[in-house]
Amino acid sequence: MKIFGKRLFRPHSIWIRKIVQWFFFLLIALISTNHTLVENGGGIPFLSTASLHALCPFGGVVTIYQYATVGTFVQKIHESAFVLMIIGFVLAFLFGPVFCGWVCPLGTIQEWVAKLGRKFFKRRYNQFIPDHLDKVLRYLRYLVLAWVVYVTATSGTLIFAEYDPYFALFNFWSSEVAIGGLIILGATLVLSVFIERPWCKYACPYGAVLGITNIFRVFQIKRAESTCKADGACSIMCPMNIKVDTIHTVRDHQCISCLECTSEAICPVAKTVVFTTGAVK
Amino acid sequence: MTLTSKPLAVLIFIILFGGIAFTTSMGWFATESTKEPVTFTEGEFAGLANPADIRGSYTFGDIENSFGIPSTILAQAFNIQTDDPSLFTIKELEVIYATSEFEVGTASVRLFVAFHNGLPLDLSTDMYLPENAALLLKEKKLAPEQLAYLELHTVPNPAAASGSPEAVPVQVTESAPESDSIEKLVKGKTTFQEILSWGVPQETIEQVMGIPMPNPLTKVKDYCLEKGLDFEVIKTALQAEIDKLK
Repeated sequence: MKIFGKRLFRPHSIWIRKIVQWFFFLLIALISTNHTLVENGGGIPFLSTASLHALCPFGGVVTIYQYATVGTFVQKIHESAFVLMIIGFVLAFLFGPVFCGWVCPLGTIQEWVAKLGRKFFKRRYNQFIPDHLDKVLRYLRYLVLAWVVYVTATSGTLIFAEYDPYFALFNFWSSEVAIGGLIILGATLVLSVFIERPWCKYACPYGAVLGITNIFRVFQIKRAESTCKADGACSIMCPMNIKVDTIHTVRDHQCISCLECTSEAICPVAKTVVFTTGAVK
Repeated sequence: MTLTSKPLAVLIFIILFGGIAFTTSMGWFATESTKEPVTFTEGEFAGLANPADIRGSYTFGDIENSFGIPSTILAQAFNIQTDDPSLFTIKELEVIYATSEFEVGTASVRLFVAFHNGLPLDLSTDMYLPENAALLLKEKKLAPEQLAYLELHTVPNPAAASGSPEAVPVQVTESAPESDSIEKLVKGKTTFQEILSWGVPQETIEQVMGIPMPNPLTKVKDYCLEKGLDFEVIKTALQAEIDKLK
């Protein structure tokens, strides 16, 4: 896409994804700002004044236990979070974790910082952690998920808000933000200079939940071995370091359905890496 | 079927915003707790908002909307000086009246609203009002027993204790920073789990309630309502147990 003859996005990239990411980042930033303005007697007309907790689908996940056992929501969680959780699951069932790759503003800001890392480190970017260690670390987010669900279920309060970098990102100006959240946000952004999407890869509990759908999602990323040139471009481009060029169907729990590996983006051969329900040869 | 990025983007928008639009139209997409108290269901007050259901998260503006009492009158009653009293959150009263011998908080607002509008309220527990609120109510036609209750349940205005008759200026915020001691207050949304985490054993809680404790995640107020217990009485007794541990 060009404006005044200047290219806006990197060639061979899914530019519409960047626009969608920008849209949701600005939307959440505006709503969060509006929430603060309304608390202080101001506000932007026609814009939601919802709190960030009300707009986070993961809030729905952590309140499931309390809702099932007591019939109420965890403090600060409202029906909207439950609805968003269901919508997130529908999207993930169909397309995998598109919420992570297309919508989540925390993922977006990590990608923005990643541009800086790519400039510094060129092809070494996103390749700093040894494979054997990286493989183990990728399961950390399931431990985080188990911990968050456990402490929320036993305390009935939203303890994760004290550490949540997503909440800190859009509330760093308010008294509601916890120092733990700010530290983790800072660490995430610094690490993003070296590793693409570090929070998503190693710690995000919501990504852990959605990632499971990659095993059975309706649309799957598939590689046609008959036309594949095995140049490895798809694997190099994958922000989550999935070795797409060595597999037929991407079922890796880390895939975020960004489509950057497909023939529509980096793969130079048409109809070779595709997002499809059908079979490829 | 093969999908490319543009149709995928469109589908994401359709499913996400379509889902939100649908659930909003069905009344399922609530982004905040309702700020409308329940109404009386029977008797001469049927259909009117019940002051017993006023919660700490309500603002004076919410009270004005539900009970028709102007925010400015509420601010005057509770000695609150602020540019926009409609934004003042009731739970902040506990902070402002922290030095008062008797608690002035959400229950006080319930009492004021009930007396102001002539609505019924259970007076079997002690609820206290500042002098300003009592003076305003005495201008209304109160029943002799209400006047007697007021006489016994009036506390000095917060600034009066220091010799100044002026109101206390406050910073209006929805969630004022709370100290550790303030956080350990039994409120409408407090769960049994929180009370347990503050060090009160389950046996003590059950002793206070007189019945077995439910799932710890249950709100104390909800359980009291369900079991026909007076929340104010239970709340005071549990608070006393918590205070013993300080």
